[in-house]
Order: sequence, then structure tokens, then C-alpha cells
Amino acid sequence: MSFEAKRCGVQFNPPSIVLLYVHTDTKKMRKRIIPVRSFSKYSDCSLAAENLKNHPRHRDYLDRVSQSQLEKLHIILRDHLQGFSLEHSLASFQLNADEDLNKLDDEILARKKGQMDKLFEMNKKHKDDPDFVYDLEVDFGKKSQEKCSWDEESDDGF
Amino acid sequence: MANDVGSIPDLVQKKHDVGEVVKIICLGDSAVGKSKLMERFLMDEYRPQQMSTYALTLYHHQTTIGNKNVVVDFWDTAGQERFQSMHPSYYHKAHACIMVFDVQRKITYKNLYNWYKELREYRPEIPCCVVANKIDADLKMAQRSFNFGKKHGLPLYYVSAADGTNVVKMFRDMIKKALDYKQNPRDFIDEVLQELENFDLEKKEENSEADEDGLKTESPEFV
Repeated sequence: MSFEAKRCGVQFNPPSIVLLYVHTDTKKMRKRIIPVRSFSKYSDCSLAAENLKNHPRHRDYLDRVSQSQLEKLHIILRDHLQGFSLEHSLASFQLNADEDLNKLDDEILARKKGQMDKLFEMNKKHKDDPDFVYDLEVDFGKKSQEKCSWDEESDDGF
Repeated sequence: MANDVGSIPDLVQKKHDVGEVVKIICLGDSAVGKSKLMERFLMDEYRPQQMSTYALTLYHHQTTIGNKNVVVDFWDTAGQERFQSMHPSYYHKAHACIMVFDVQRKITYKNLYNWYKELREYRPEIPCCVVANKIDADLKMAQRSFNFGKKHGLPLYYVSAADGTNVVKMFRDMIKKALDYKQNPRDFIDEVLQELENFDLEKKEENSEADEDGLKTESPEFV
């Protein structure tokens, strides 16, 4: 018997993680509501996500849901407990290329970095990969270079 | 047995021959990948020393350039860049600087100028480079020329901390330049500091020679 997670979300009242999954034997779509227990606005979301991921009653259902997604859902629940709107929470995960990240507090900066890390991990070459080269040098050549549009406004220093 | 005996002078040798110590600082906006670059370069050696009180991370690296032992102290910000400025001690006695921006975020490129101005206030002459990081995310950016480096006479490296492109080359180049600067400073204060360091070393050597000859008398107040 196995389960194929389709979508995962939250419900604010009572605070719960909602999972839509397909039962692979019956091919039926089911909904599972997992109330988040002993969770407050001060809770550690990363720990809560880890606990849920390994929870004996839920782990089989959550097998295909990543821990980082569960952490994100817990953050949204915690934001709600702290009085933040859903829009605020979702925006805090969005990367906006024009935003000055120097101006963010630790918590929001960590969320942005978390988003960036997804791409990093996708492109990351691990040292155990057979084609890993520690001292990888690539010469991009100067001939084919175009000017970068970032230099167009002629500010001082550029 | 013979090995055991042989290994002793080796150990002693190492202790006395720690080599030149150079300090290399990293500058750039939040989340441009400064720590990720350090991590990629140092790999298994990666053991950062967090100094959270100072919003600072230090990495220690030992290497050889030519046949010389070099100890590199890398200084990385740990959130201090948030204040758009670093404490003067960050720049103090630095021998080279690595300035990083994120090719996916123009603002981090534009902010290079602020970082560069501050660097030059404290360290007018040290070697510096510009690093265009995250080219794995957008390879087209490696085909773009960026004027900032050219304008200030700084080498530009297209790198990716994720797939490793040009990371090791950039660090090795900068370690060589830092060492070269330390040995041939172009800044008056640095020249004086280098002289003092040489003077110190000579004194130490004299002391240790005296020690071997058994000439050193122990001062009772220290016993």
C-alpha cells in the first residue's frame, strides 16, 4: 500500500497541514488533515517539520513531500499565529531581483536564501559525483562579449 | 623506530615554519554567495569560526605557493553587510579583497561601488577583484562584459559556487596577489608594518639561538 502526494497546503483553524494524495491501489484521491499539535508562535518550524516528516502515523503519506516544503507550511502557520497575513507570508518567499536584501531582517533574509538554495542545490556538483572537478576552469572568452545593460545608465563609478 | 626518530625534527620544523600569514577579506551584499564560495574552495577544510558578536566569520587555510608555506585568514561578513558598511577592523591589515555580486540581481552589482569606495578609504592599494557569482543560474551573463572592473582596473571572474566554475582559480590568484602585496607593499604604513614584522622575526631568532647556547638566564620574578 502506498500513497502518492499530490498537493500539500495549510488550514488556519485549527492549525493543520492538509494533504491531497492518491491511494495507489484504489487510484482514489483522498484528503488528509493533520492537525499541528503543540505548536505556537514561538515554535521552531524546522524542528516541527522534521518531527512531522518522521511521525509514525503520517510519514508514509508524507513520503513524497519534502521536509523543506513542510517547513515552509509551518512558517506560514506560525506567521498567522503572529498576526501576519497570508499575503505577507507568501511574499516573504518570493524572490524579487530588484529588492535590496541588505534591508531585510534575519528571518525574512533566511527565507529568501532558502529559495535561492533550491536552485543552488539543483545545480550543485557534489564532490562524490564522478565528473566532479575541484579546480574547474572555464574560459568564457572576451570576443563574443556583449555589453551588459546594467552599465547603461552612466552612474559614477561604472 | 627509525621513522619515529625521523619524524621529530619534522614536527619541530613545521612549528617554526608556519610561513607567511595573509589576510583576505570578502565584500558584497547579502545573499550574493560569499560563504558558499568559501565553502566550495575549502571543501573538507571548511570549518568556519563564527564570531557572532562581531557579525564575522573566519576561515583558516594553509597552502603552499611555490615552495613557501602560506597561512590564509579569510574574513567573511556574517550579516554585517546589512549596515552597508563594515567596521574598520575588518579592513585592518588586509592584504587582498574579493568583491562579490550576484549576476541575477543588478542591485548587488550597483552596490559594488559603495563597497569599493569604503575599501579604498581604508586600504588604498591592496589587490582586489570582482567576482560575478551564480553564472550557473544564467550562463548568458558570462558572455556579458561588466564595466565596473575595467573602470577601476580590477580583474573580473565569472564563477559559480554551485558547479565550481573558476572558484579555485580565483582564490588561488588572490592568495598569490595577497602574498605578493605583503612582501612588496605599496602603502607606506604597510611598509612600516612589514619592516616591524621582519624585525620581530630577527629578534625571535636571536632569542632562540641564545636559548640553545644555554645563555638565557631565567628571571626569578617569572618563576
